[in-house]
Amino acid sequence: MGEPRKKVLVVDDDRDDLKMISMILEPEGYEIITAENGAEALEKVESEAPDLILLDVMMPELDGFAACAKLKASPHSKGIPVVLLTGVAKQITKTRYPIDGVLRAEAEEYLEKPVDPEELLKVVAGYLK
Amino acid sequence: MTITRKVNCWEVLSCEHGPGCPEPCPAALDVTSTGVNGGLNAGRICWTVPGTICGGELQGDFVDKQEVCLNCPFFQQVRGEEGTAFRFVKLAQGLRDAESLHARITQVESLMGIHDQLRARFNLDAVIAEITRQARLLTQAQRSLVLVLRGKPPRLHGEFMLRGNMVQVDIPVDETSAVGYAALRNKVVNVKDAYRAAAADDDAPFNRTFDDACECRTDSLLAVPVCDSDNRVLGVITAANSAKGSFSQDDQWFMERYAVEVALALEKARLLQEAVAAGRMASISESLASLSHFLKDVAHALMGSSYIIRRGIERGRMDDIKSAWEILDRHVKRLAQLCKDVLTYDPERPDEICPGDLNETVAEAVSLLQEEARTRAIKLGTDLGPGLAQWRHSKRGIYQCVVNLVVNAFDACLPGGGHVTVTTERCGEDAAIRVADDGRGMDEETREQVLEVFRTGDKTRGSGIGLPTVVDVMERCGGRLEIESEPGKGSTFSILLPESP
Repeated sequence: MGEPRKKVLVVDDDRDDLKMISMILEPEGYEIITAENGAEALEKVESEAPDLILLDVMMPELDGFAACAKLKASPHSKGIPVVLLTGVAKQITKTRYPIDGVLRAEAEEYLEKPVDPEELLKVVAGYLK
Repeated sequence: MTITRKVNCWEVLSCEHGPGCPEPCPAALDVTSTGVNGGLNAGRICWTVPGTICGGELQGDFVDKQEVCLNCPFFQQVRGEEGTAFRFVKLAQGLRDAESLHARITQVESLMGIHDQLRARFNLDAVIAEITRQARLLTQAQRSLVLVLRGKPPRLHGEFMLRGNMVQVDIPVDETSAVGYAALRNKVVNVKDAYRAAAADDDAPFNRTFDDACECRTDSLLAVPVCDSDNRVLGVITAANSAKGSFSQDDQWFMERYAVEVALALEKARLLQEAVAAGRMASISESLASLSHFLKDVAHALMGSSYIIRRGIERGRMDDIKSAWEILDRHVKRLAQLCKDVLTYDPERPDEICPGDLNETVAEAVSLLQEEARTRAIKLGTDLGPGLAQWRHSKRGIYQCVVNLVVNAFDACLPGGGHVTVTTERCGEDAAIRVADDGRGMDEETREQVLEVFRTGDKTRGSGIGLPTVVDVMERCGGRLEIESEPGKGSTFSILLPESP
C-alpha cells in the first residue's frame, strides 16, 4: 500500500460543476468529498479533515468568501489550503470584498472561471505534493 | 329677498385712488364700464383698464398686466361671484357679442385645464393636440399648429389634418416665412393681410409656398415662438385666418400664454425621454453583466467536460465520457437557447404576461446583483415561498422591478454595508414580492412622495431611483406597491401582483 490518498473537498451549489470537478480530479488519485453550500462545507471540514478545499464563490446562504473567512478564522481549519473558484476577476475579488468591514478573503489561490482543467490539476498538485 | 352690494376693486384693495379721491385711478373714472360684473365704473372689470394704480403702482396696458391680474385675489373673487355671467372683457374692447365673451371665459378655464393636465398624467401628443385646439378656438382661427424645432440644422416640423388627411410640414428657420422668422428672431409675428403685405414687399415675411402646397389661402397669421426657461426657441405655435379678419392684441397675448404651456409640455416630454433612455441604458448594462456571467458559466462547463471526454478516450473511461457528455450536451443547449433569446430580444416589444415561476424570475434578478452586493459589503439573500410556480406575470417586467428595488435598497444601506432580503409569498389573492433593507429608512413625507409617484403615474419625478420602471410594470400587470419604512430602521417595498391581472 502506498501513502493514503489526499482528500479534496469540492464545494459548489451547481451539481454539474460538482460532478465535473470530481471527475477531473478523481482519476488522478484524489479522494473527493463534496458539499453543496458553505454551511455543509464547514461540517465536512470538521468530519472529514480534507487536505485541500476547492470553494465556489457564488453560492446561496453562506457563500465562498464567507465560508473561506470562517475556515481561516478557526484554528482547527486555518492550515487547510483553500482555492476559490470565482467568476469575477482576481483583483476585484482580492481588494473589494470586505467581511465585517475588513478585507479577509484569505484564500491561498484564486482560479477564475472558466477554469482550465489542466491548470486546476497543476494547482491542486502543487498544494498536495 | 337679499340684496348684496357688489364691491369694487378700490374697496377690497383699500386703495387711495377710488372715485372722489385726489388722484383717482382710471378704473374709478371709466363711467362707460358701470354695470359690468355689477360694478361702479370699471370697479369690477379693472383688469381691462390700462394704467390702473393697483397697490399704489402704476400698471401697464391690458396685455402687460394680465399676468398680474389673473393671479389677483380680487379678479378671482369677481370670477367666483359672477359664475357663468362673469365678463372677462368688455364688449367695447372689440369683441362682438356676449357669446364670444363666454367663449373667452371658457378659454381662460381651458388654459388652467391644460396646466392641470400637464401636472398630472402625461402624453405629449395629447397635450399638444389639446393646446392647438384651444388656441384655434380662442383666436377664432381656422387653423392652428404647433411646429417643433428638430434636426441639424434645425427645421420646424409639424403635423396637422387637412381635409381628412394627415399632412406634415417642414419649414426652414429663416426669414423666408413668418414662422421661420418668428423662430429665428424669437419674435411674435402678426400678419394682418398676408397677400397684400407680400405684394407690397412689406417687412412681414409671408411665404405663399405653404398655401400653394395645401391649396388654401392664408390672409392673417399669428406666429408665436415657444421658448424654454432659458429663452431658447423650441418651436412656434401658429394660428391662421381669424374669423374676425385679423388677430388682435388679446389673441396675441393668449397665444403667448399657450406658447408657455407648449414649452412646458415639450420640456416635460424631454425629461421623460431622458428618463426612459437612462432606464434602457441601465437595462443594457445589466444584460451585459448577466450575459458575461452566463457565458463564463457555460465556458467553464464546456472546458471541463471536453477535458474529461478527451482524457476518457485516452484512458478508456467510458463512464466518465458518458457523464461528461451529458453535461456538455446540457450546456450546449443552454448556449443555443441564449443565442435564440438574444436574436429574438426586442426591447421595444412589450413583454407578455403569462403563467410562469415567479420565484425563478425573482431569483434570476437577485443573482444578477450578488456581485454588486459583495462590492458594497451588503448581504443579499432570498426567502422564496411556495405556491408561485404558475403565477401570471411579465417576466421581464418583474425582473426589472426587482432589480430596481434591490438597487434602491442597496443605496439605502449605510456605507458600512447592510442586509437586503428579497422574499416572495402568497398574500391573500396576491403574490407578494418584498424587498427589505436595514438601511436609513424614510420619514413619512418621503414615503408619501414615493407613493405619490405611483398614484399620479408621474414618471418624471423620482426618476433617479428607478421607480418609473416599476410604475410602468405595475400599470401593465395591474399590481400595486406598498411601503413600510421608519427612519433608522430600514424600508420594505412590497409589490403585490394579482393572479389575474
